[in-house]
Amino acid sequence: MRAIDHHAWTNRWRGWHPAEKLLPAGSLLILTLVLPPLTTAPLVLAGMALATVRGAGVPLKALLSVLAAPAAFLLAGVPFLAVSVDFAEGVNLHLSADGLRLALTTTVRALAAMSCLAFLILTTPLTDWITPLRRIGVPAGVIELILLIYRLIFVFFERALTGHQAQTARLGYSRVDRSVRSLGLLVSNLFQRALEQARRLEIGLMARGYTGELRVLAPKRVLSWPRLATGLGLVGLVGAASDLLARGLS
Amino acid sequence: MHIAEGFLPPLHAAGWTAAALPFVIVSAWRVNRLMRDQPQTKLLLAAAGAFAFVISALKLPSVTGSCSHATGTGLGAILFGPAVMALLGTIVLVFQALLLAHGGITTLGANVFSMAIVGPWIAYGVLRGAQGLNAPLAVSVFLAAMLGDLATYTMTAGQLALAFPDPASGIAGSFVKFLSVFAPTQLPLAVVEGLLTVVIVNFLREYSGDELQILKFPSPTVAVEARS
Repeated sequence: MRAIDHHAWTNRWRGWHPAEKLLPAGSLLILTLVLPPLTTAPLVLAGMALATVRGAGVPLKALLSVLAAPAAFLLAGVPFLAVSVDFAEGVNLHLSADGLRLALTTTVRALAAMSCLAFLILTTPLTDWITPLRRIGVPAGVIELILLIYRLIFVFFERALTGHQAQTARLGYSRVDRSVRSLGLLVSNLFQRALEQARRLEIGLMARGYTGELRVLAPKRVLSWPRLATGLGLVGLVGAASDLLARGLS
Repeated sequence: MHIAEGFLPPLHAAGWTAAALPFVIVSAWRVNRLMRDQPQTKLLLAAAGAFAFVISALKLPSVTGSCSHATGTGLGAILFGPAVMALLGTIVLVFQALLLAHGGITTLGANVFSMAIVGPWIAYGVLRGAQGLNAPLAVSVFLAAMLGDLATYTMTAGQLALAFPDPASGIAGSFVKFLSVFAPTQLPLAVVEGLLTVVIVNFLREYSGDELQILKFPSPTVAVEARS
């Protein structure tokens, strides 16, 4: 979790206006979903990997670890797209060409879509996502809730990690029954402390004249039209190329 | 169990987003009004959201050897009620996609529907039902958390079945297929989560009666008992 957040804050494209990254990557994500996956997905995957590693300067290892996140889900789900079940006469499993093709297209589509998401989360810090949210009319109170949660996640995470280490050192996770008990204690302790923290935060803010709104300075970013146009142009190019490829193959 | 980014075909992704949207909007509106009327609830909700995210990142003791995580769906529904959970769950799922790369943007709607809407409502309904039947608190909490978890998992299997019907036996066959693929990890997980939630609720009753009162814990007698 910290690795993703770390790269999002330190990569080379950190200072860009979020729209310059959101719009091209978002449209590429949509292209991945609607165009035939077998020709589009490899192009998208290559393009996004290049943009992430070469462009934004995120280490390849970080990109690979993000791409591997849904691997378990794909490994469990995909084989069963290929296998088909028939209950007509008992349980009857068989492989079909259609099923195999479905499994293959789903895998490459998911991987390509994942690369778009990976690019976005590795180059754009979470706070940059807030402006578009405001644009689409999410209430200010809810946005503030999101920012507060973002801050508190890291506070609580550290606490959970420390508690977990302390319990492990005292053999709290040596058996399954003990693990359940230890984890229960850890979680309930965390909950109690979270509420306490919320109350302290509230008292502290009230003392400083809190009226239900936290005002912070947002760094001003200038939208660079050339960069946005280049990004969208490249996306168009990927779309056109995959269309040509699809026609050439069929 | 998050459906991975790009796994669902575009129409299904859009459909589940449309299905989840009204719930989330109503929940956002209610939470926003709650925060305006009582500013102190904002920090409480923020702490709850962060807490839900952190426990979902904790590894559960696993029985089958696969790596599994708590969902916190049942606990959240028991403590905060399903109306609030729709928004809080959505925010947590967005954070999971953006900070942990679990789930995704296109599959957010489907994941919200199963984890932030169906799971909490079932858990809450079971809790209320069991309390109505005068079941002991530990039993009703266990059932609520476990069945909430199972409802989430069944819903996800249903979503996958609708998206990928089996060529031979159709949606029903595909549903059975996905249910059985995920059962070996999800069934023990649901039991563990149920036990865990009982441990947590017991601890909270013993040590945080005041906090439970602030939350208007669903059974007034419980909160009073905890205070005395």
